[in-house]
Formats: sequence, C-alpha cells, structure tokens
Amino acid sequence: MNLSELIHEFILALIEPGILVGSIGTISFINTTNSSFSLGLVFTCISLLYFALNADFIAAAQLLVYVGAINVLIVFAIMITDQSVSSDSEKRGIGYFTALGACSILFLTIVCIFHKINDFYSSSIHQSEYLKLNLFEQNDVQNIGYQLLNKFLVPFELASLLLLVALVGAINPARDEDEGKDIAENKKKSFVSSTSPRDKSSFF
Amino acid sequence: MNDINSFLSRLNSTINFSTILPEIILIVGLITIVITDLVNKGKNAIFLYKIFLVSTLVSMGILFYQLISVIAFEDLYTNNIFNNLFRFFILICSFISVLLSVDYVLCSKISLAEFPLFKISAGLGGMILSCATDLITIYVSLEFLALSSCFLSGYTKRDIRSNEASMKFLLMSGASSSSLLYGFSLLYGFSDGQVQLDNIIDKILFSQYLPTICISAAFILAGTAFKLSLFPFHQWTPDVYEGSPTPVVAFFSVTSKVAALSLFTRLFRLIFPYLSNEWHIVVELLAISSMILGNLIAVTQRSFKRMLAYSSISQIGYVMIGILAADLENGYASMLTYTFIYIFMNLGTFARITLFSLRTGTDNIRDYAGLYMKDPVLTFSLVLCLLSLGGIPPLSGFFGKLYLFWHGWKAGLYISVTVALVTSVISIYYYLKIIKLMLTKTTNPVDTLKTYEKQKSLVSSVISTKLKSSVEMAMILCALASTLSGLFMDPIIKITRNTFF
Repeated sequence: MNLSELIHEFILALIEPGILVGSIGTISFINTTNSSFSLGLVFTCISLLYFALNADFIAAAQLLVYVGAINVLIVFAIMITDQSVSSDSEKRGIGYFTALGACSILFLTIVCIFHKINDFYSSSIHQSEYLKLNLFEQNDVQNIGYQLLNKFLVPFELASLLLLVALVGAINPARDEDEGKDIAENKKKSFVSSTSPRDKSSFF
Repeated sequence: MNDINSFLSRLNSTINFSTILPEIILIVGLITIVITDLVNKGKNAIFLYKIFLVSTLVSMGILFYQLISVIAFEDLYTNNIFNNLFRFFILICSFISVLLSVDYVLCSKISLAEFPLFKISAGLGGMILSCATDLITIYVSLEFLALSSCFLSGYTKRDIRSNEASMKFLLMSGASSSSLLYGFSLLYGFSDGQVQLDNIIDKILFSQYLPTICISAAFILAGTAFKLSLFPFHQWTPDVYEGSPTPVVAFFSVTSKVAALSLFTRLFRLIFPYLSNEWHIVVELLAISSMILGNLIAVTQRSFKRMLAYSSISQIGYVMIGILAADLENGYASMLTYTFIYIFMNLGTFARITLFSLRTGTDNIRDYAGLYMKDPVLTFSLVLCLLSLGGIPPLSGFFGKLYLFWHGWKAGLYISVTVALVTSVISIYYYLKIIKLMLTKTTNPVDTLKTYEKQKSLVSSVISTKLKSSVEMAMILCALASTLSGLFMDPIIKITRNTFF
C-alpha cells in the first residue's frame, strides 16, 4: 500500500469508531439530552466519511441538513418537553428477542451482500472500466448545479413551490386566531340584523 | 446586460415555455393570491377566489389551444393527447370545486385566504403529475398534491374530525409514497442510472432481472393504489372523507383520483409491458374486490359523505376495467369518458350536499327525509346526480358505464364485467334508498326540517334573475353536464380515441 491509501485507511479507522460509539451512545444513554448529542456525533462522523469518499456536495448537505437542522430540532424538542428521567425496566420481553433476531438477520444479509459485491467489483475488468469513467477529475457541485437547472428544472422549481406551500400549511393550523374572532363577531351581528349571509353571497 | 441576453436566448432554445404555459399561469395566480392577501390584510377575501377562477379559466383556454399539438419539453413532459386531456380534467375539477367551496368557507368562520392557495397548489401538482415522464418529477408532483390535500383536509382546525382526517391522510400518504420510492429505486438501479421512463425501458434487461422487476412493480402498485383507494389500500378513504370539510372532499374525490389514474396508466403502460399478464391479473383482482367491497359497505352507511366515499371506491373499480381493456384502436377511450362523466357526477352530488349541510348543518342520510317538500329544486337536482352515479338511462352515467363494460367484455374481462354489473345494481339500490327518503313525506316532525324553514329555500333565489350564490352555479353546471353528456357521447369518444401510447 502506498502512502495515500495508508492515510485513507487511517482516516477511515478514526471515523468508523466514532460512528459506532455515537450510535451505541444514542440508544443506551438514559438522559435523552446526552442521547441526542451523540446522535449529532454520528451525523458529523458520517459527513466526514463522505468527505473521505470524495463526495463533497453530499458531505456539505449532510452537515447542513442533518446536523444543522434535524439534530438541532431534536435537541430543541427534547429540551422543551419536560423529561423525567425514568429507569428502564429490566425485564426483556418477547419483543426484545424478536427485534434482536430480525436485526441480526438483516445485518448478516447486508454483510453477505457487501462481500459478494466486493468480489464482483474487484475483478480487473471492472476496475479498468471504472478508471475510464474518470470520476475524480469532475467538480461535483458544478455538475449538480448544471443538471439541476437544465435537465431537472421542473422538479427543482416545483420543490421550491412545495416548500412555500409547506410553510404556509404548517403555520396555518398553528397560528393565533384573533382575526377569526373579529370576523365571527361581525358575522353574528349581520346574521341577526339581516337575512342569512348565504343569500347575500357577494360573489357576483 | 449582454450576459442576460445570451442566457435568455440559450434558455429559450433549450426550454419551450409554451408547453408548460398553463402551469405557469397557475403559478402566477398562486403568487398573486399570496401577495394580494398580504396587501389587503385579510379584507375582501372574495377577490382572491375571483383571481383563482380567472387564472384557472385562462389556463384552460391555453390548454384548449395546445390540445392538438405534440411538443416535447426536455424529455420531462410529453404533450400527447392523453396527458393534455388529464390536465384539462384537473383544471375542470379545480374550477368547479372552488365554485362550490366559497360559501362554505365564508360560513364556517375560518380564514379565507389560504384556501385558494392550497387548492391552486393541489391543482398544479395534479397537472404536472399528468404530464411527467421522469421519476423525479413524478415523485415531487405527487408529494405536492398529497401535501396540499393534507393541508386542505385539516383546514377547519377547530373541528376535531378534520384534525383526525388530516393526520390519517398524512401518515398513510407518507407510508405509501415511501413504498412507491422503493419501487422507483429498483427501476433506477436496474436501468443503469436512468431517470426518464423511456430510457428506463430501453436499458432494463427484463429477461435477466425479472423477479426483482416484479417486486418493483408490486411496490409501485402499492404506492399508486393508495391514491386511487383501491382495495386493500382504501382504509384511509372513509375516515378522511367524513372528517374533512365537504368542499375539500369534493375536491379530493375527483382531483387526486384523476391524477393518480394518469400516473397509474402511464407507469404501467410504459414500464411493465413485458409483465402485462401478471399485473393485469393483479389489477383485475383489486378492481373486483374494490367494486364488491365499496358497494356492499356503502349500503350500510348512515353518513352521506361516508357513503359517497365508499361509492367512489367502487367507481374507481369500474375505471380499472377501462384501463385493463385498452387496446390499439380505441386507446383509453372508455376510461377517459367515464372519468370525465364521473367528475361531473361526483362534483354535482357534493355541491348539493354542501348546500344542504350549509342550511341544516347535518350530514346524516336520515335528515334528508322529506326534502321534496322544503326544496324541490335541490331534491330534483340531487336525484339527477344520484341516478347518474347509479347508471340509469338516459343520464350520462349510464352511457359511460355502458361503454366501459362493453369495452371490458370485448377485451375478454368476463368476470370483472359480470361483477361490475352486479355491483352496479347494488349501487342503484342505495342511491334509490336516498331518493325515496327525500321524495316521501315523513309523518314524524324532524328537527332538521324545522331549522330548514328558517332559511330561505332555493326556489326564490333561482326565480330571481341574478344568481346570487356560486354553489348554485356549480350545481346547475354539474346537473347539465351529468344529464346532457349522454347526448354528446359520440364526440367525446371520438376525442378520447387516439390516446394509446
């Protein structure tokens, strides 16, 4: 192994235990605030993994979205709700063992799949084809921007409209209805004094 | 300045804006509504509805103009007749459903301004879904439609049933779109990274990966069958329809079903032609079960909206026969004609229910008793629409069903057509039950009749020359279309004929 591969392995060896420790911490801390912070550690280490794998756009997106938005939201939610620190019951029912069995089967399946893919792709034919693609010389962010505004223009603009509608729709049930009360009072007065508002629908 | 000019000219050469001009007009309408509401600070909200209607009408006009031409837009859209017809249907749905929702929203004392916003965005999502030939555009527009529908169903936030309805809708639509995404991801992987539907078919080696393509087809079927509310993905329909405000239910029952129909047809026609035997059998099974289940359970319902929810499940079962019976010379003519007629029948029925519930505040079928004495015009128009839904000649529902079943029989779907005929008879039973309830005089005084007397009936306002309520206009439009479309069946069929792709 030459020097660059050695450095690569070293960095990966630093990041992967971070992910492992963070995820074990997320599920086993009793205090939920500690748990959410270790979730933040997991997300940050995944983002560093993307950097090490030469995917700079996804790494930046992961940092911004997962760590900066989702994890912060989780921490806010935990800190706002009043959590009494309760001790877990020590009895492990049937659900625990079912979940354990299912997760271990899933894990073994994924490990087998990865081994098979590794054997498949490490044969020399595929390596030469992969090198021909010359992926390391292109700029990810530029490429993504170009495709977003050319090929995927419609979904991109539609997603921005979707954000607008989602914002309006999220605020709509949650806001204070002071104006609603005024309108209700006006309607009551008009109802009593004149005929029903339906007859005087002022649409036309 | 030079840069901007060159950019614009390059933009115009790559993108042909005239193809998505109807959607652009809707977007302009949406932005105008938001800005007008902000400027007016909540006063004069009826003006917003007028903006909505104007933009929908302009959009429809431009779509008429484009209906003949076939232009491709960067391979994301193809404007063949099938897609254009669906866009037109969705515009009609939005237009009529907004007409019948104005008074309801006024009377229910909730803020008016966001309602046309959500309706426009749902209509926009439906329109783009009808044209999308690209997995990403399909998914984003489907989510757009689902999200706006979810906000619409939870609009009356003080009503607890409305909250429950929107919660159920959100959760179920999230689950179904995740299964749809999984199916899409399998297609994406097997076609070597292609996102556009045409390229996917070119690149997938069907012979090699057949079992996994079947899995992908199953997941996509699960995802789209949720929106269509086929059995067994229909569980959300009755609760959501009962809980949401009535004009919103009217909008749902047509728009999301029409958009989901176009999606379903396009996906299964383009991607899975090699599997046509397999998915034909599965869809036939689903259609038969929806028809049987929808009609049988609708017999026992006591709430009008819930009954209409189950009846719409069975109507979609009928339309599935039309999809399965598509062949080269007729295209999807039977499905398209029945969908067109279904839109008017359903919206007409919901218009009358809206008017009735505005006046009496109840949704129980029992309270419709003796309506003939209080309001004959409403009764007769409701009778017309219900008979059209049941399929009684000479109304247009009969002609639609006749064409559909005839095509199904010709295509060899003998079991489905037999089941459809039997369940149609069952549906006539429960529609006639309501009609009989309305037309006969009751001997016991019911509270709702007393409250009805306090308000003026429809007769006086129709006699006066000016139409004062938009609901009435929607009602009259739908009544005319439900009855007279039967006479104009031939030109409609001729238009919908060459839609096979």
